[in-house]
Amino acid sequence: MSTVILESAGTASTMRRNFWRGVWRVMLRKPSRLVGAVIVLGFAFMGVFGPMFYPDLLPHNADNIYAPMSGEHWFGTDGQGRDVVALVVTGSRYVLLSALVTAIITVVLGTSIGLFSGFKRGRWDTVLMRLTDMKLTIPGLPLLLVLSTVWKFGSAVEMGLLLGLLGWGGVARAVRSQTLSLRERGFIEAARGLGLSTTHIVGKELLPSMAPYIAMNMLIAVTGAVYAQVGLFFLGVLPYEANNWGVMLNLAVFGGGAMTTTAALPYMLAPLLAILLLTLGIVLVVDAMDEIFNPRLREE
Amino acid sequence: MITGTGITKTFRQRGNVLGKREVPALRGVDFAIGKGGAASFIGESGCGKTTLGRIIAGLESYDEGEIAIDGTPMTPLKPKQRQPHFRKIQMIHQDPYSALNPTRTIYQTLQAPLALRAGQTGRPKAWIDERATEVLSLVGLDPATVLSRYPHQLSGGMRQRVVIARALTVDPEMLVADEAVSMIDVSLRLGILALLKDLRDRLGVSVLFITHDVATARYIGADGELYVIYRGQVVERGPVDTIIADPVHPYTQSLLSAIPVLHGLERPGEEPVVPLESLSADQSDSGCLFEPRCPFRGDRCATERPLLQVTKEAPQEHACFYPERRQVIARPMSEV
Amino acid sequence: MPQEAPGVRVDGLTVVYRTPAGELPAVRDVSLTLEPGTITGIVGESGSGKSTMALSLLNAVQPPGRIAAGSVEIDGLGDVVGFAGERLRKARGAHIGYVFQAAQNSMNPLKTVGKQLLDLGRSHGVADLRGLVREAKELLARMGLDGARVLDSYQHELSGGMRQRVGIMLALVLNAHLVVLDEPTTALDMITQANILKIVREVHAERGLTTLVITHDIGVVAEVADRLAVMYGGRLVEQGPTRQVLGSPRHPYTRGLITAIPRLTGDIDEARALPGRPPTLATVPKEGCVFRERCPLRMDVCDTVDPDAVADGSRIVACHAVNVREHA
Repeated sequence: MSTVILESAGTASTMRRNFWRGVWRVMLRKPSRLVGAVIVLGFAFMGVFGPMFYPDLLPHNADNIYAPMSGEHWFGTDGQGRDVVALVVTGSRYVLLSALVTAIITVVLGTSIGLFSGFKRGRWDTVLMRLTDMKLTIPGLPLLLVLSTVWKFGSAVEMGLLLGLLGWGGVARAVRSQTLSLRERGFIEAARGLGLSTTHIVGKELLPSMAPYIAMNMLIAVTGAVYAQVGLFFLGVLPYEANNWGVMLNLAVFGGGAMTTTAALPYMLAPLLAILLLTLGIVLVVDAMDEIFNPRLREE
Repeated sequence: MITGTGITKTFRQRGNVLGKREVPALRGVDFAIGKGGAASFIGESGCGKTTLGRIIAGLESYDEGEIAIDGTPMTPLKPKQRQPHFRKIQMIHQDPYSALNPTRTIYQTLQAPLALRAGQTGRPKAWIDERATEVLSLVGLDPATVLSRYPHQLSGGMRQRVVIARALTVDPEMLVADEAVSMIDVSLRLGILALLKDLRDRLGVSVLFITHDVATARYIGADGELYVIYRGQVVERGPVDTIIADPVHPYTQSLLSAIPVLHGLERPGEEPVVPLESLSADQSDSGCLFEPRCPFRGDRCATERPLLQVTKEAPQEHACFYPERRQVIARPMSEV
Repeated sequence: MPQEAPGVRVDGLTVVYRTPAGELPAVRDVSLTLEPGTITGIVGESGSGKSTMALSLLNAVQPPGRIAAGSVEIDGLGDVVGFAGERLRKARGAHIGYVFQAAQNSMNPLKTVGKQLLDLGRSHGVADLRGLVREAKELLARMGLDGARVLDSYQHELSGGMRQRVGIMLALVLNAHLVVLDEPTTALDMITQANILKIVREVHAERGLTTLVITHDIGVVAEVADRLAVMYGGRLVEQGPTRQVLGSPRHPYTRGLITAIPRLTGDIDEARALPGRPPTLATVPKEGCVFRERCPLRMDVCDTVDPDAVADGSRIVACHAVNVREHA
């Protein structure tokens, strides 16, 4: 009897250890997941530490512009003779940081509004969902174009904030419908019958059941945000102040003529490859989310 | 003691622009379940038995009537004030698979309500663990093996026991078991029924059993009271064994006649009642509710609604103008 | 074309499922004969292999499952285990009718019953679709339904009992004479259940069918079946004429199962649950008797040797304790 109590008293830390052991098992199940995780971690590393390896002002070389791929310059050089790889690495921080901010805002806002709406139902639900509908009907791109004329987006956080505020609608709707179906389940009804607090019901019963869903949305929001801002910079609606993959694409196409001549092609391919690789990594990791957060699939 | 008088509930279905469709679920039901007592609601799906059970457990509202828990009427109270009263009545759901959170271990499931109580009563943390192992032992599970498990690692029967254990964490006065064994393997059902009966005997918890299977209702206790419900109205009410042996309402008789006979062990009843097949979708609401399907309907039945009462034909209450005893149930070969 | 009710001989049937823990048998070495024109009931709890067994009759076990050994010989068809592709598809429906669980929504919710009937007819190359509809209406009328109205209805417009009758109609309308009913009354109310069972009995007799009923409810089998087969942990542990098996069950599992059924009369305390729980695919013992963990008659030999099914007249029992006693 005493061992049982001891065991359960230590439950919280044991459970955490078991959880991470389970996560490891899930990742090992398919090699593709490990590859995905390595890619995502690699990008995170690049965003955090990458720029430290390069001087603030990258070395120019006016005699070596649009150089082809070589041992010295893996992806050649840009229109000012700067190394493309160096540009991709130093540009990653802005892209990844703003994407992360976007993803966090999307998920936090979307989840809380969806949860609240689905759990409270009634009047709150109606008001919030009309709000969401209105938000969903606002076309994002034209609004961004308009906003970019007054706002310069020099900082990645500002960029992420704006994209996040524009992007939570879909998540809110999806989380709300999940909440509506979950709240009819026996265990939620039982929790209410036992007199457990709403905080407990939402935080401990509802959220964990939606965790895989939320985690997936978060990861997908990252890719969405990367596409959105790279697109904006590519279109040139935003100023070139920041070093950014989108700016690189823009310069490669409109400055270097990458679409017509081969000289600037590596310059265009490098950021594209980076985006592709990041998306691939995220897609591979998303595959594991369901199994990580579902105890049954985790243990099997 | 939980009593209900004239409980009425109407579901309003969303209709078209011209108006809503009203579906009466309960039409003035009275009931009383004493401390440590047992009652069973019997009827077909859609008869209102589950709605009534949910109303009693505080999970559903009612339109008219009054529910009193230990003498306190619920209607004048605000939802917040009702909650502590309704907490004494715990629901055991039909589906033990959805009644437990798949992402939480059994310990976590039991710990949450216990921690709440410990907080309210100033008990120490150790009490939570002690009580968790205690309620699991009460329902016949081994705490050492079950506590750290997730629901998916348990069988249906074990899960239903955990659900009952969770209900016991709040020291309830009554358990409302809605078809609580219909999703459990046949060889294990009786174990759950016996457990409910045992909790009555040992803890004095009263049990309200909701089922379409009359035979299981007996196993909650011989002193139990049976409520036969048809389209939101109680049509017969009395001690379980009296109604099974001597039913007088034709609907009760139809229900009992429909129970499969174990040929080889039992002999079928002599006067089985088969209700008429009523194909009309919208049944009329005037007169006796069972009249369209009743093989024994008389002149009064189409126009007048019989009320629940005791007559000289039978000791139990019934709502029928022409009550008559019929031998409908199968008897064991050895008895005849 | 008047057909004879076919007989079915299942011999040494083993069905395995591929799992991470290797191939595990869901049905193991089952032999069962369905005499022409009889109703046979298979009773078993979850994980007993009864549904897999029923699917094997149509050679319809889905991957990761496969029939690993044995044969299913159907009169007029041959061994369906060897069938594949078009030949198998034609055999289902035309020779073997399958009625899905009442609880499942086995119909297409977007099509009316009539549309689905025509789809069924076309896929089996029925030339006379008018005749098919006429036949369907007759069958529905026979079961107490308004045929024209039902054919015009969508699934959600029908009650559970009506859906089940439509299921029976779809299984019989192509003139199949071997019918498999999987849990025909699960999730139905008592009165509806009694009604469906009565219909099954009557239609069986009128059309001259061989019928197999799969259920977890002994009461259902007791009402309709001539022969009763009890499955446990993938093994067929006892079979025989229904009344005999119910009246004097021999296998300890059958006995336990019957004692565990709540009854309307008699002493409440006599009924009791079986101890333990039924095995799952993963927990079925690899060797020895599948029931020994819950068995009151367990002997040493049960741990190591799986008892053979031994015939004694019309009864077949697979139990060391029972067979020893009888031979002594």
